Amino acid sequence: MTASGPLIRLEGICKSFGTVLANRDVSLTIESGKVLALLGENGAGKSTIMSILAGQLQPDSGAIYLDGRQVILSSTEKAIKAGIGMVYQHFKLVSAMTVAENIFLGRGGIWLNWSRMHREVAALAEQYGMKVNPAAKIGDLSMGERQQVEILKLLHRRSSILIFDEPTAVLTPREADNLFDTMRLMTASGKGIVFISHKLEEVMAIADTVAILRRGEIVDTLAAADVHSPAELAERMVGREVLLQVERIPQEPRQIVLKVHELQDAVLSNVNLELRQGEILGLVGVAGNGQKQLVETICGLRRPAENTIRILGMEWRKFFRKADWERTLAYVPEDRQGLATCQGLTLLDNFLLTTRGGFVRGPWLMRHLAEAKALHLIEEFDIRPPDLAAFAWQLSGGNLQKMVLAREFYRKPRLIVAEQPTQGLDIAAAEDVWNLLLKAREASGILLVTGDLSEALALSDRIGVMYNGRIVDLFAVEDEEKVALIPQMMAGLSTTTDRHLATF
Amino acid sequence: MLRMRITKRQEPLGIGGSCFVLLTALSLSLLVSAVLLYLGGTSPIRGISVLFQGAFGSRYALEDSILKAIPIFLCALGVAVAFRLKIWNIGAEGQFALGAIGATWIALSFPAWPKFILLPAMIGMAMAAGGLWGLIPALLRQKLRTNEIIVTLMMNYIAILFLDFLVYGVWKDPTSFGFPMTPGFSEQAIVGKIGATAVNWGLVHCLVLGTLVFFFFRFTRIGFEIKASGDNVRAARYAGLPYDRLVMLVMVMSGALAGWAGFLEASATVNRLQPSIMVGYGYTAIVVAWLARLHPLSIGIAAVLLAGLRVGVESLQLDLQVPAAFGGIIEGLILLTVLAGGLFTHYRLVPRKH
Repeated sequence: MTASGPLIRLEGICKSFGTVLANRDVSLTIESGKVLALLGENGAGKSTIMSILAGQLQPDSGAIYLDGRQVILSSTEKAIKAGIGMVYQHFKLVSAMTVAENIFLGRGGIWLNWSRMHREVAALAEQYGMKVNPAAKIGDLSMGERQQVEILKLLHRRSSILIFDEPTAVLTPREADNLFDTMRLMTASGKGIVFISHKLEEVMAIADTVAILRRGEIVDTLAAADVHSPAELAERMVGREVLLQVERIPQEPRQIVLKVHELQDAVLSNVNLELRQGEILGLVGVAGNGQKQLVETICGLRRPAENTIRILGMEWRKFFRKADWERTLAYVPEDRQGLATCQGLTLLDNFLLTTRGGFVRGPWLMRHLAEAKALHLIEEFDIRPPDLAAFAWQLSGGNLQKMVLAREFYRKPRLIVAEQPTQGLDIAAAEDVWNLLLKAREASGILLVTGDLSEALALSDRIGVMYNGRIVDLFAVEDEEKVALIPQMMAGLSTTTDRHLATF
Repeated sequence: MLRMRITKRQEPLGIGGSCFVLLTALSLSLLVSAVLLYLGGTSPIRGISVLFQGAFGSRYALEDSILKAIPIFLCALGVAVAFRLKIWNIGAEGQFALGAIGATWIALSFPAWPKFILLPAMIGMAMAAGGLWGLIPALLRQKLRTNEIIVTLMMNYIAILFLDFLVYGVWKDPTSFGFPMTPGFSEQAIVGKIGATAVNWGLVHCLVLGTLVFFFFRFTRIGFEIKASGDNVRAARYAGLPYDRLVMLVMVMSGALAGWAGFLEASATVNRLQPSIMVGYGYTAIVVAWLARLHPLSIGIAAVLLAGLRVGVESLQLDLQVPAAFGGIIEGLILLTVLAGGLFTHYRLVPRKH
């Protein structure tokens, strides 16, 4: 096992949920002693492929080979026995128990030999350069230390393949450096590592091989040594080819519907933008560079400093105090299940969630009036099942998104904030959404936040690029010179001067 | 051995299935109770039959069960309103006490007022006092981020001690030979009995209030907003629902309904204020609300059932010398089995394939 060579091989893995292809013909090789980075935007299919490896999901077709023999990982137990270990983003530790207890949890046997447990854990930690006290309670540890316990758990089981799902998301930069040191020690002892991330610098720093996933497919597999800059990765990750044909008729921009002026918070720094009725402003960037904070602030979920945001001519506070349900702001969030809908309520009640203002007479809610409208929308948007009494949790992701879009467009908004509106939709449904957005543009200004550059380029009149909490640049989509520089901007490489190259 | 696996249902469980699960759960809790009776040296069959006879087997028993079901129903209706918003009001007991105190205050201060003014005034004060007792934890929760479970629970003890303070002190009846109780209410301050039965008009109050709560959730905007916010707080903020205000509102409604129950208990049942009215109806109400899945009609059924249990256990104690604590055990068992059965509304067991 110490010699380098393929540990596990995926061949032609396909997996679909309903009409959405989450993985299409994915082939990967995980080698002993190497770090394979899996790069892709949210929803590109990274988690699906890893869940298949961890035995949580079964592929529709394709095969998995372990040391050259085909295996079927029908359960998580089988995956663990096959030596595949996952370090999840959300740790699975018992916080009232000690480090050593957590590591030995579920390992069988009746008698506990405390001194031997502590000795083994300490030796293992030492071997991989971790400083963990086996007797410490999990609840007292930092996020970085907890992650080390998760890793020790896998090492103690002698897992030969360790999968890290965005491991640095919860770490401080210093802790992240420690993690990379540990990873190098692990590969030196012959383990194979899969590193899932969308942080380009980290991928460049640690990976031997980079596989890039987009819309469920591996679009590229390249040796890290051949990658010269993060911009190259960004470009491959977001794609450039226009895979959609939508007709965008130029509109005369009219009054300003959204004005953000020197917005600052813990993440954002000095964000300025203006959005007019009749235009789509596409905000692109690698996830986690402040898009979420900006959108949540504009849409009323975070409180900005006074006089930094004006919506439809009103100061933020006044807008959210006074705003009517229709002809104002509609927000189509990325998180459909957790934010845009109530999973335990019916379709009708979910339809009423933001449109209830239109069906109120005094204290009463006129459900029968809403029913007629909602049925009409279900038909128009082809939402399945076409049943107002169905619960939101029974709908697939795509149908839920169509429901949210139907509801939000019904409000005839003047300002639309659409966050990853086509993520998880099949191509036909995505095209419908694109056409809807273009049509809505006639009456409203649209802020389109997306990780899919081809989507942004096809729909937007102007493009803004976010990096590290700032809007690096804002330009018309016709400006080909700037468009060509988008990957550099997304990777944080300065395009005007060469003063601050991203450090990693 | 057959190994089972839990999988999520694609369709929610229908009415028939739900009833089957509920009946199975109730039978299971009775079965375990029977085993406990047997272990305690009592014939289980005799014990269970005495329990049912004592609860519903005679006119007197049935009337007593319904009498006890009235305060339980109103308290349960109250906590159900708060539970809809996932605000865990454990304070019905204290809000009930405050309601009784508020009603008593009016009854003792203005005994000569005519009935049609005095009773509404007592109800109004009972609701205000109970509502205030509910509002305090709501304010603390939204302003200072305290945990409403702890605060409402602690405020129960404050309320009960305050009631004791009044009946042992300023409100004590000078002719009561030292017993802690207020003077009896005037004729105008008493909610009477229905015809020749032992059941008071509070039963009608329950029917009206239960219907109102049902309509409130079914047809009003605020009822909808409470339901939606209870399902997903983040979606509530997304949709601009006034969550803070809804929390205050449900706690006031919850407290007011429990306060109404306190009014009925003081006015109709004992005709005065005395510590013996505090027998844990507010806690039983929590069990009732959960058993009924917060639905007003089901709360009515569950309230009669658990009130009957209280009455039946008295017979069990008299006839078969079974300790009174047995009632609490059955109540707990019913809650456990029914809640465990709730798993089947969203999941089902399938045999594991190899």
